[in-house]
Parts: sequence; C-alpha cells; structure tokens
Amino acid sequence: MAGLAATFGSGAMTNSIPDFDEAKLFFVIGSNTTAQHPLIGSRIIKAVQKGARLILADPRQIQLAPFAAIHLRHNIGTDVALLNGIMNVIISEGLYDKGFVEERTEGFGALRSVVEKYTPKVVEAISGIDAGQIEEAARMYATTKKAMIVYAMGITQHATGTDNVKSCANLAMLTGHVGKPSTGVNPLRGQNNVQGACDMGALPNVFSGYQKVTDANVREKFEDAWGVDLDDKVGMTMIDMMEAAQKGELKALYVMGENPMMSDPDTTHVEIALSNLDFLVVQDIFLSETARMADVVLPAASFAEKDGTYTNTERRVQLSKKAINPLGSARADWEIICEVSRLAGYPMNYACQSEIMHEINMLTPSYGGITYTRLEERPGLQWPCPDEEHPGTPYLHKDKFAKGLGTFMPCEFKPLIEVPDDEYDLLLTTGRIYHHYHTGTMTRRISILEREAPKPFIEINPLDAKRIGIRQNDLIEVTSRRGSIKAMAEVTPRVPPKVVFGTFHFHEASINLLTNPVYDPVAKIPEYKGCAVKIRRCA
Amino acid sequence: MKSIDKKDVLAALKTWATKYHVLCPVNKTNGDCIFDCLGEDKVTLDYGKPSLAPKSALFPQSEIIFEVKDDQYHEVISSQNTILFGIRACDMMGILQSSSFMARDNSDVYYRAKADVTIKVVMACKGPQNETCFCTTTDSGPFATDGFDLQFFDMGERFLVEIGSKKGKELVSGDLFIDVKDEEVKEGIAAFKEKAAQSIPRVNEIEKVAGMMKNGAIDDEKWEEFGKKCIACGGCVFVCPTCTCFNVYDLAMGDSGVRIRGWDTCLYGGFTREASMHNPRPTQGLRLKRRYEHKLKDYNEKDLLGGLFTCVGCGRCSDVCPVGIGILDVAKAIIEDYK
Repeated sequence: MAGLAATFGSGAMTNSIPDFDEAKLFFVIGSNTTAQHPLIGSRIIKAVQKGARLILADPRQIQLAPFAAIHLRHNIGTDVALLNGIMNVIISEGLYDKGFVEERTEGFGALRSVVEKYTPKVVEAISGIDAGQIEEAARMYATTKKAMIVYAMGITQHATGTDNVKSCANLAMLTGHVGKPSTGVNPLRGQNNVQGACDMGALPNVFSGYQKVTDANVREKFEDAWGVDLDDKVGMTMIDMMEAAQKGELKALYVMGENPMMSDPDTTHVEIALSNLDFLVVQDIFLSETARMADVVLPAASFAEKDGTYTNTERRVQLSKKAINPLGSARADWEIICEVSRLAGYPMNYACQSEIMHEINMLTPSYGGITYTRLEERPGLQWPCPDEEHPGTPYLHKDKFAKGLGTFMPCEFKPLIEVPDDEYDLLLTTGRIYHHYHTGTMTRRISILEREAPKPFIEINPLDAKRIGIRQNDLIEVTSRRGSIKAMAEVTPRVPPKVVFGTFHFHEASINLLTNPVYDPVAKIPEYKGCAVKIRRCA
Repeated sequence: MKSIDKKDVLAALKTWATKYHVLCPVNKTNGDCIFDCLGEDKVTLDYGKPSLAPKSALFPQSEIIFEVKDDQYHEVISSQNTILFGIRACDMMGILQSSSFMARDNSDVYYRAKADVTIKVVMACKGPQNETCFCTTTDSGPFATDGFDLQFFDMGERFLVEIGSKKGKELVSGDLFIDVKDEEVKEGIAAFKEKAAQSIPRVNEIEKVAGMMKNGAIDDEKWEEFGKKCIACGGCVFVCPTCTCFNVYDLAMGDSGVRIRGWDTCLYGGFTREASMHNPRPTQGLRLKRRYEHKLKDYNEKDLLGGLFTCVGCGRCSDVCPVGIGILDVAKAIIEDYK
C-alpha cells in the first residue's frame, strides 16, 4: 500500500469489482486470482470468453494460464525488471499516453532515464522471458484502452515489494490507464477486512483514513475528540516488535486475530522473541499456535456472533449482522477493547457499534458519509464518501490523483536477497491454496475443506523430481538455512524447474520455518516469495 | 377445488403457523427471495424462482445425526410438522425424485422423518420465472401433476386451490377458503395450464445432449474445456433440487461430541479421492462430466416419477454459476460444437 500511496496518493484498489466485466485487457501479475479471489477470477474468465485479453505474469501454471493470450513465466523476484522492460518498449515505440503524462503526472524524465536501460534483451537475461514476448505484452497493454492491472501478494511479498507496486503504478500512469472505469491498479487484498483494518489506522504511522500521526493538525483533532495527549512518533511495525522483543527491549505484546507463530518468516526466531516477552496477550476466536504461548487469552466472537462492518478489497464498507449470540465467554472485539480500556483507566462509553461508526464519520474524511443508516439501505458504500449525500466512489483518481499529480517513481531491479547456490539449489516460493485460509486456524477446522486439502505438500517440477529421485506423494524433507520441514511431494509442471512451491496453512509442516526474514525497507513486508532450499527424499 | 382471495393468504399462513412450521417465500435484503420462516412483513406472493431449491427443509445443509454425551451415545432424528408453501412445480418434482432416491435400499431415516411430516403447497407457474426456466423440456412443470398436498393457481384477484391429499384438504377447511365447483373453473384451469406450458420454450439441446451422452458421443476433451473454467465452488450442487450427496463428520468437544452430516458435492476432488490418493475422477472436467451424467443419463428409472431426467429444469445452476457452465450453457456449448 505504501507504493500506491507514494505514486497516486491513495493506497487502495483504484477500481471496482464490477469493472472487471467491462475490461478489455487484464494484466495479472502475482495473483492466483481463481484460487484466492475466485469470484474476481471468474469475472476474468468470463470477460476473456467475451473477447477480453489476459496477460499473465506468474511463474506457476495457475488456473488462469490457459486463458492467457500471453503467459510470462518470469524468474521469481524479477518483477521490476519485467515491468521496466515493458515500459521501455512502450516509451521507445511511442505508445505512451503523452497527454496524460504531461497533464496528470510528474517525474517522467526520471522514469525514462531508468527504464531506457531495461531493453527487452537486457530484461530477457534477467527474467528469462523472451524479448519478443515482452514487446508483445507491452504493445497489447499500451494499446488497449480498458486495461486493468491486477496484483496480489506475488507483487508485495518481496524485499522489493514497494518497488514492485511503484512499477505497476508507473506502468498504469505511463499509458493513462488510471482514473477511468475498467482500468487502474488493482491490488486484491488478501483478507476480507484487511482494507478496513488499514483504513482504521491499524498501522504504525497513521490514524484512521491514513491521517498521519506526525501531522500536528491531525493529532490535535484526535486529541480533542478523545481528550488525551497523543504520541507524535511513528510506532513500530510487527517486524520491529519481534526484533525488539528478541533483544528484550519490548516487554509486552497484545496480538489480535493474528498468528505470527505461523505467519511470520523464520518461525524459530519468532518463538524466541515471543518467549522473551514478560507479558503476551492474544485475542482470537480459536486457540492458535500463538495463543498457546500467551499469558492471557481473550476469546473473541466470530463473524457470526457480532454486528459490524467489513471493508472489502474494492473499498466497499458493508454491514454484517450477527446470526447467533456469542458462545461461551466470547465477546465482540470492540467490547473486549472497551473493557480493557476501562480497566486501564480510560472508559470508552459506546452503547453500540453504530456509535463507534459515528465517531469514525466525524474523524475520518473518507468515511464521513458512511453511516449505519445508509448501509442498512444498500449493499455497501465505497470510500471516499465524504458526506451523507455522497454516493460513494467506484473508481479513484478521476480528474486528478489523490495527491494532485501522479508521481513516477522509477525503480532499479534488485535481485532476491537469497538466491539458490550449490548447496541450497532450489528456490522456494510460498502462497495459499483454494481450500485453506492463511494459517488454517479457521479452515482446518472445517471437515470438508480439510478433506479437500488434508496434508502439507510441496509442488516440484518433474525434472527436479526425477533428478532427486522423488515420486508422486513421496515424503520429502525441505531444508533452508533456517529450518526444515517434511511434506508430501506433488510432482507437477505447474511449477517451473528449479522452483518449489509450498503453503503456510499447515502447522505440521510450517513453511515459515524456512522463509527468509528479510523485509521491504518501507512496507516491512517479508520476502515470502523466494528463498533458497534443498530437498531430499525421506527414506 | 377451493379458492382464496389473495389478500387473505397471509392470514391463512398465520393460521397454519399455529400448528405447523411454515416455510414460505420471504424477501431478503438486496433483492434475494428464499423459502424462510413465516415472518411479519417480508412474506411475498410476488416472487419468481427463489434462488435456493427448498430441499433444505428435508435435507438440511448440516444436521446432527448422532450425539455423544455423559458416556452415552444416541441417534438424533429431527423433524417437525412443516408446511412448504409456494414451491414451484420443478421443486415439487425435485422432492418427489429425491424422496424416491432416499427411500431406495436402506431408507434414509433422517430424510424420511422430515419428508413424512412435510406438507407441500405448490404455486403453479403462469410462465417462465426467468430466462433459465426449462421445465417443459424435462416434463416437470410449469404445474405439478403429482405429489402436492395443495396447488395454487393465480387467477388475478384470487387463487384457485387444487386439493391433492387428505392433509391438504384439512388445511383448506377454514373460512378463508371458499368452495368452488370443479366444473365452473375447469376451463379456466385448463387455459391457465395451456398458456403456461406454451410460454416456457423447450430447450432442444438438453434432450440432444442427453442422447449424445447415452451414445458416448461427447469427448472428454470437451468436458475438460468446461473443467478448466470451473472454480469448484459447488454452487450448482447446492442450489440443485435433486442433488443430495452428503459428507459425515464428527465434532468432538472434550468428552462430548456430535456426528454431523452436511451437504457435499461430487465436484470436489476429495469426494472421490481414495485413501491411496488415487482419484478415479482426477480432473475437474471429468468431475463435471460425472455430475451432468447423473442429471441426464445415469439414474434409476424408478426415481423419475413422471419427469424425463433427474434434472428438473429449474435452471438454477445456470443462474448461479459464476463462469457460465450451468446445464443450459453446457448443453448449448456442446451442441454448438458438435453441429
């Protein structure tokens, strides 16, 4: 999100889900859309059937691959080079939108001077993609008016994640494919309410609506509303917290709905960090691996046991009603937080959720008109929605970017931090599958999903499998410099040679024992998408 | 034959609700209409084809069938006296066929317990409820010919009510229902039926594809083409009036626990995967093929009960499929390809 905020001024999906139906071209890079956002993936399939074209950039042969006009199976971690190569072609062939670049953007000169080095031949050497295919993709994207860029964690979960996002944004601005229906840069958020959590300021540097904690005027507004003095310093990211905990500088941690014991890279070190805390509180709906380590566990109500709103990937805030009362001693998250706050000496007196929403309306310009009363009457409202007359915003940056002019932020290609060598000779990339969600705390309790995907597996190309002597469903051991897991081999050409794929759903073979704890310097997102491993067949 | 003024129907439902659990068409937010409990104000007589078949009344999405508690275990067979009001003829045929299927070999006690105490009130269709209705192709509508306890015909200001059983007769014995002589309305009903049947176009592709399946004329490659689009959501199965596959699983909670059966689908890989990990239906294309064969080719004649296939022509799979491979789309694509 940091990359889009820097280039466009707003860190969210620019367009809307129904826009997919009318698009003429999709450039999907780093999104296994049918597996992770199946109802968006199915819109892509339907649009392709109606004549839209798909450019897919993904090392794996995912379900969308047979629908692609061009499938670029680039080397993992070479997204910036690939995108620069595409922009190189667009500029050198004069296919960019000169009017848009002049009127709506700044920094084109800087972009041109960086991408001119990335000729198709240069990029071919880096990415493994044939120069001709890069040219073809560039022409196709640049010359199709309704062209949407779609990405997900394949772009962000790299030490160069912010650079990857900026490069996507550069490409959209260069061609003027932004600020119009069925165009834009469309990050598909990985969780049903991660957009909402970010919108509400569950980030170290902002209050709700991305209002900076370092801005004195903003701080004053919140200080007045809450009657307290507020810290003007940017807080710690999760990664900073883990490091501080390990060093003994952080004493207490309060974790809500997150399972870092499985979701953070290099689990061995996460465990050391959490064990080093004086006090760990975990608020969750199930006793997760992290909750098992907690001094206090606060049982939270599930989605079916509480009222509230979720903000989905297209910035749509939707009302959700409870179906049953919370079971056992579970309570809605907001009630737990209010109670903890009261006991800590700051009473929060909200009678119900709509009162909290009222406060959000008052303090958050982009949510100004998103009231419970209005949400009751319609299937959600898309921010920005500044007042109660406003219908919501299906696509962003219409006549000008949220920050005024869009800024080209050219990036140089940087290789993966850990590349395969003689000993660790394969590249592990991680992700999710259709049937399970994240660390499996919820989906692995569902019988039918567990039946569909019961066991941890590692996808390996037949060439590598043959070389190592691995057959289908063999138990294999995967080892990185940080740890080792055992899983079943799925021998499949879905992954290219020299690449293996695993998921972080399975606690019995937790893939993040292996992953590399290196981070994007800005977003602090870990490089889940590439680390070096070796594999052997278990006797 | 009886008749009832439209304005009196809600009152009749409320009267029935004193003795029965009444499920009827109810408008939900965002324009959905489903069969749900009789509520205060959202009951509607102006509805098309509710998006879900009413099968969950007899075959719930999930139900406890077995309970372990205090070192004892016992079977749980749940049922309650229910009136299913306003189901369509296609759904009536779905219930007839499913009831027959569930009674074969060992009778399914959980299904039977509910089927025995459920009264079916059919709302005959005046015409197609949307563009995917094709019951005239499958001989399962637009009006019911068997199985119903009551059948309503919309005659404008009032409904004519056909009595199909003793239970049905008891339901319409109250003051709200007025006696009409069969001869007086005979022509009106006949005209209604004829007009309705003519207004629902026959879909020849369905019959042709059924014939091709019987002759093994459809290549697996064609099915793989559909399979590569399928996102395995199972939507087509869950809305289908005649899909009754289930999975059984246990939920343990300390010393107690329950055994639950819940809807399943043959479109999921694990449905046919064997313990060795071998899967006789290894691809999504072959799983789709299997499902459509069950609808148009592989069924027991005894279960048809007047219908032509175990597809009852409701078209819901074509309504819900996010990638356009419901039965109508598949049939048309196959015929197009094999022209």
